Amino acid sequence: MSADLHGSQRAVETLVSKLRRRQVVGSREAALETVLVLRQVVSKARFSNIDQLISLIRSVGKRLVEAQPKEHSVGNTVRKLLHHIREEYNTAMTGNASSSKTVYSISNFVLQGQPRKQNVAPKSEATLTLKENDPDDPDSFARVLKPVLMEAIQDVLDELETVYDNISKNAKDHIHSDEIILTIGHSKTVETFLKVAAHHRSFTVIVAETGPSYNGHEMARALSSAGISSFLVPDSSIYAIMSRVNKVIIGAHAILANGGMFAITGSLLAANAARVHSTPVVVCAGQFKLTPLWNLYHDFGALDFADPSSVLGFEEGNLVDKVDVLNPYYDYVGPELVDVFITNDGDHPPSSVYRLIKETYDDDDHEL
Amino acid sequence: MAPAPSLPIHPPNGPVNGDASKQPPQGRSSQKSMTKAERRELQEKQRAAKAAAKAGGPVNGAPSKQAAKPTPQATAAATPKRPTKSNEAPAPTASALRTQTAARARAASVSVPTPANARGLRIFSHFGLPKPVSVAKGDIHPTILRLALQFSEFKITDYATPPNNTLSRHLMTYLSPQISHLVAARPMSVTMGNAIRQLKLEISGSDIDLPEQDAKDALCQKIDNYIRDRIIIADQVIEETAGNKIKDGDVILTYARSSVVQKVLLGAHAEGRQFSVIVVDSRPMLEGKRLLSVLASAGIQCTYILLPALGAIITEVTLVLVGAHSIHSNGAVYSRAGTALVAMMAKLHSVPVVVCCETYKYSETVQLDSFTKNELAPQGDLFSSFPSVKARDSLTLENDEHLEILNPLYDLTPPNCITAVVTEVGVIPPNSIGSIPVALGRLL
Repeated sequence: MSADLHGSQRAVETLVSKLRRRQVVGSREAALETVLVLRQVVSKARFSNIDQLISLIRSVGKRLVEAQPKEHSVGNTVRKLLHHIREEYNTAMTGNASSSKTVYSISNFVLQGQPRKQNVAPKSEATLTLKENDPDDPDSFARVLKPVLMEAIQDVLDELETVYDNISKNAKDHIHSDEIILTIGHSKTVETFLKVAAHHRSFTVIVAETGPSYNGHEMARALSSAGISSFLVPDSSIYAIMSRVNKVIIGAHAILANGGMFAITGSLLAANAARVHSTPVVVCAGQFKLTPLWNLYHDFGALDFADPSSVLGFEEGNLVDKVDVLNPYYDYVGPELVDVFITNDGDHPPSSVYRLIKETYDDDDHEL
Repeated sequence: MAPAPSLPIHPPNGPVNGDASKQPPQGRSSQKSMTKAERRELQEKQRAAKAAAKAGGPVNGAPSKQAAKPTPQATAAATPKRPTKSNEAPAPTASALRTQTAARARAASVSVPTPANARGLRIFSHFGLPKPVSVAKGDIHPTILRLALQFSEFKITDYATPPNNTLSRHLMTYLSPQISHLVAARPMSVTMGNAIRQLKLEISGSDIDLPEQDAKDALCQKIDNYIRDRIIIADQVIEETAGNKIKDGDVILTYARSSVVQKVLLGAHAEGRQFSVIVVDSRPMLEGKRLLSVLASAGIQCTYILLPALGAIITEVTLVLVGAHSIHSNGAVYSRAGTALVAMMAKLHSVPVVVCCETYKYSETVQLDSFTKNELAPQGDLFSSFPSVKARDSLTLENDEHLEILNPLYDLTPPNCITAVVTEVGVIPPNSIGSIPVALGRLL
C-alpha cells in the first residue's frame, strides 16, 4: 500500500528534478513524460470521492509546473487530464456528457453554441453504480472508476504520440508546387509536415539558422537528406529574401490564450518581415501546446534566457566584464502576425484559439 | 574579425584574385570568357613586365609601396576563376596563389550544377562566386578608394605620354584596363564607380597645353583633394551633425560595424554625453564584435545581442544609428544584410532610424530589392563565427546535393523605414535623397 504510493511519488520526484535541470528537451517529450507519471499516480491513488482525486492530481501538477514554469506543455497536459477525468466522472454519475455546473457565465453561453464537440465519446455507456464516501468500502469508488480513467489517460497518450501524423495529414493542401517556403530553427512538427508534403509536391525550403542556437543547421540537414532542395541562410538575410518567399511555416513552443505564441527567437523577425511583404505565416503545433495564459505586456519574465556564452564567449576575455549580453530563447509573436495554426485537431485562425481553450480545459484549472 | 582566408595578402588593400562580377548566362559566358581571358593574358604580361621594371624603379613614397605589393601578387593570381554557371561549387580560396593555367584548368573542371536543379536553386545563381577576401562595410570603402586612386595615381606619375598623343586621351585608355582589373576583383560598387567617374572627368578636363609633369601633378592633387573632401572631412562633419542628435540618457542601437557610426559614438562620448549602446550583430560577418571592443575600451556602456534577440530589446531603444554601403535616389539604403530587419523593427516601435552616409556613396540608380545586386560572403574560417560551445559536427558547412548555403552580404532597406540620412551636406529625409547632387553644387 504505502509502497505503491511511494513508487508513484518517486516517479513524480524524478520528473520534477529532470524538469528543473532541463533534462527533458522538447515540449512533446515533456508532455509525454507528464502523462506517464500521472498515469502512475492515478493507478496507484486511493480516493473515495472525486474531489480527493482531483486535488491529488492538482498538487502533483503544481509541483511539476513549478519545477519548470516555462515549459508550458507540462501544465497543459495536467489540465487536459483533469478535464478528461471530470468528464468521465460526470458521465458515469449522471449519464450525460455536459459539465455539471449550471453557473450562468459567458463560458457556458459560448459552449452551448458549439456546433461541434471536441470531446471523445464517454467511455462508460451505462451509468455505473458509484457510491462516494462509502464508509464500508472506501475503495469501491476508486475501483469502479479507475479503469475508465485509465482509458481516458490512454487516449491522451495516443493523441500525443500521433501528433506529427495528424498535423501532416493535409500537408499537401497547404503547399503547392514550386513554392519557396521559409522556416526557422528546428521544429520536428514542421519537419514532418514538410517531408510529408514533399511526397506529393516539389518545392524549395529556405532555412534561417537562427543564432545563437543555430538549430537551423539540423533542420537543413534533415530536409536535404529527405530530398527537399534547401537553402541555409543566416538570420540577417531574412528581410532580403522575403520578397521571394511564398509562405512562412514555423513551429511554436506554446500557443497563448489570445492567439499569440511563444516561438524560438527569430520568429518575430520573420513574422514581421512576412507581414510587411504580405506573406502568409503558418504555424504548426500540437494541441498540447495550447496554454490558458496571456502575455499582454511582454515582460522579460515571460521569456526564457539561455547561456550568454554562446553569444559572446569567454574567449573574448576582456570584453566579458564590460559588456551586458542577452540571450533570450523565445520570442513572443502576437496574434496579428499569425495567419493560421495547423494543429492535430484541424486548422484554426488565431481568433478562435480562445474557443479551443474553453473546450479543452476547465476553468478551475487555469491556476493549478 | 573578418574570416579572412590564409592568404599572405593584406585584406584592406586587396583586390586580390578575382571572381567575376554578376554571372552572365551560361551561353554567353563561354564566349566572353575566351575574349576576356585573352585580354587578361595580355594585361598580365604587361603588368608583369611593369612590375619587374618597377621593382628597381623610382619609389614614390607610400602609395607606390602599397600599390607595388598588390601588383606582383595580383599578377600571379589575377585570373578571376572563370565561373561556369554554377555557384554551387565555390572555388577554394587558396587557389589565389595558383598560376593562371592551373586556375583556369580547375575552373573548367568545376562540376556542372546538380541535375536536380530545382527552380529554387536557380533563383540565386546570379549572386556569383563568393569572394575570397572579406571586406567590412564602412571600413573598407575609403581604403579601396584610396587604393584605386593611388593605383591609378601611381600609374599617372609613372606614366609617360607617348609622343603625338595628348595626355588626357591616352591616359584614359591606359587606365581602363586597370579599372577593369579592379572591377574583376570585386563587383563594381557605387563608391568605386563614383570615384572613377570623377577621375575620368578630371582627366578629360585637363588642359592640353600644360607640360606633362604639371598635368600629372595637377591630377594627383585633384585625387588628393577628392579623398580629403569627400571622405575624411565628410566623416568629420557627419560625426558632428549626428553627434548632436544624441542626448543624455539615450539608448542607441547600432547594427554590425560602420566606421562612421563608430566615429559618431566615440565623438559624442568624448564630448561627455551620457548614453548607452546596444550592438546588434549577426553572422556571417560578426563585425559587431570589433565595434563592441572599441566602444567598450572607450568606456561606453554596451550591450551585445545577436539579431534574433532584437524583438526583446527594441522597446528600450531611443535611437537607431546605422551606416550604409550606398544610398539611392529613391531613398533606399543598401547596406549590410540585417539592417533592413533592424530598421523594420524600429519603425514598428516608432524608434527613429538615422543613416550616416557620405555623399560619395550616393548613386542615381534606383534599387528595388536586395536581389538584383548582391554579394556572397567569402568562405573563410567559418568555425570562428559560431560559438565555441556549439559542437562542430552539428554545424552544416558543406553544400551537398540538395542543400546550399547562402550568405548574402547586403540588403536593401526601403525608404519608408528610414527617418533621416545624415550626410556632410546636411540631414536629409529619405524622399529627398535625389537632391544630393544639387546640394553638392555639381554633378556626380
